[in-house]
Amino acid sequence: MVQINLPENSQIKKGKYFKDKTGSKNLRKVNIYRWDPSSGENPRIDTYEVDMDNCPTKVLDILNKIKNEIDPTIAYRRSCAHGVCGSCAMNMGGKNGLACTTPHSEIDGDIDIYPLPHLKVKKDLIGDLDGLYKQYQSIEPWLKSNSESVTQEIIQSKEDRAKLDGAYECIMCACCSTSCPSYWWNGDKYLGPAVLLQAYRWIVDSRDEERQARLKKVADELKLYRCHTILNCTSACPKGLNPAKAIAEIKKMLATANF
Amino acid sequence: MENKSPLSPHIQIYKWHISSLVSISHRITGIINIIGITFICSLVSFIVFGENNYEMINLFLISSIGKFIILGLTWSFSFQVLSEIRHLIMDLGYGFELKTTKITGLVVIFGSIFLTVIFYLIGKNFF
Repeated sequence: MVQINLPENSQIKKGKYFKDKTGSKNLRKVNIYRWDPSSGENPRIDTYEVDMDNCPTKVLDILNKIKNEIDPTIAYRRSCAHGVCGSCAMNMGGKNGLACTTPHSEIDGDIDIYPLPHLKVKKDLIGDLDGLYKQYQSIEPWLKSNSESVTQEIIQSKEDRAKLDGAYECIMCACCSTSCPSYWWNGDKYLGPAVLLQAYRWIVDSRDEERQARLKKVADELKLYRCHTILNCTSACPKGLNPAKAIAEIKKMLATANF
Repeated sequence: MENKSPLSPHIQIYKWHISSLVSISHRITGIINIIGITFICSLVSFIVFGENNYEMINLFLISSIGKFIILGLTWSFSFQVLSEIRHLIMDLGYGFELKTTKITGLVVIFGSIFLTVIFYLIGKNFF
């Protein structure tokens, strides 16, 4: 259901202010969402003054700098730092993206950093993605073949392989799904752009033999048709993919299919 | 502990862009159209009860509130039609590139204002 306001325990309070100690002239204010599960208090926004003269170009560099030099208690996920693993997905400057590939120069004014929207927060910038992973599992993201012997490689033409371009590159960072207002209001039933893009990836795979079953499974008022082409997903995707188009293609296939 | 977890902020912090703006406006104008057009239709149907009613409706429509309602409805209807065409094209699988969505979104926004002006001028016998 649409619920604009945050629940009582999620209202954000003003937090601590960490003044710069380096004496640098080139400072930027960084506002970071903080929530400590052990404190029992509401979430707060801590503000850090960061010396930009000694900080590399990406938002993740700012977070690392804060964690190393100012406040070691801050929690966030990160791993590869090259836009491949999808761990550091968060909301920066009001837009979802990967902290490791988002330049802080692209954000005007103070840098606001929040966890991915509309998730249960585990700590600070870490959101709970269990629901999304369960949905991912529900579309059975593996090759299904009815053939007796699968000891040989399954040949795929270049044209058929090309159909997977723009779908297989997804790193499941959840930037798209958590940017989608439909997913915010109906995330328990609507599959969301990330999972639907993966559903599409298996539907169009020429080697998969369960195409019809997959289509039927996803053809549901809530699972699929909650997409209203708001296009937050496509504009959020850090890999430049187009989940909205993939969803439209699934809808088109269903409109023209005769089961 | 799970239940204690706060919900991270969503619509409060998420940046608007043209497509999301057009999408929400599409819904709002849809509701306005249903209410507005039903209102105008029921108003006009009062004409069957005689000349006095016609005078009354006429008075209402030339008042500033009446004009505002008519003009607003013209805009929301224009917006709805243009946005619906945009959605139809998207349903065919076209126009999903980020740049294209931006352009078509702007066409919907400015086109609806343009159409409102045109309709207004037609009503004023400008042409």
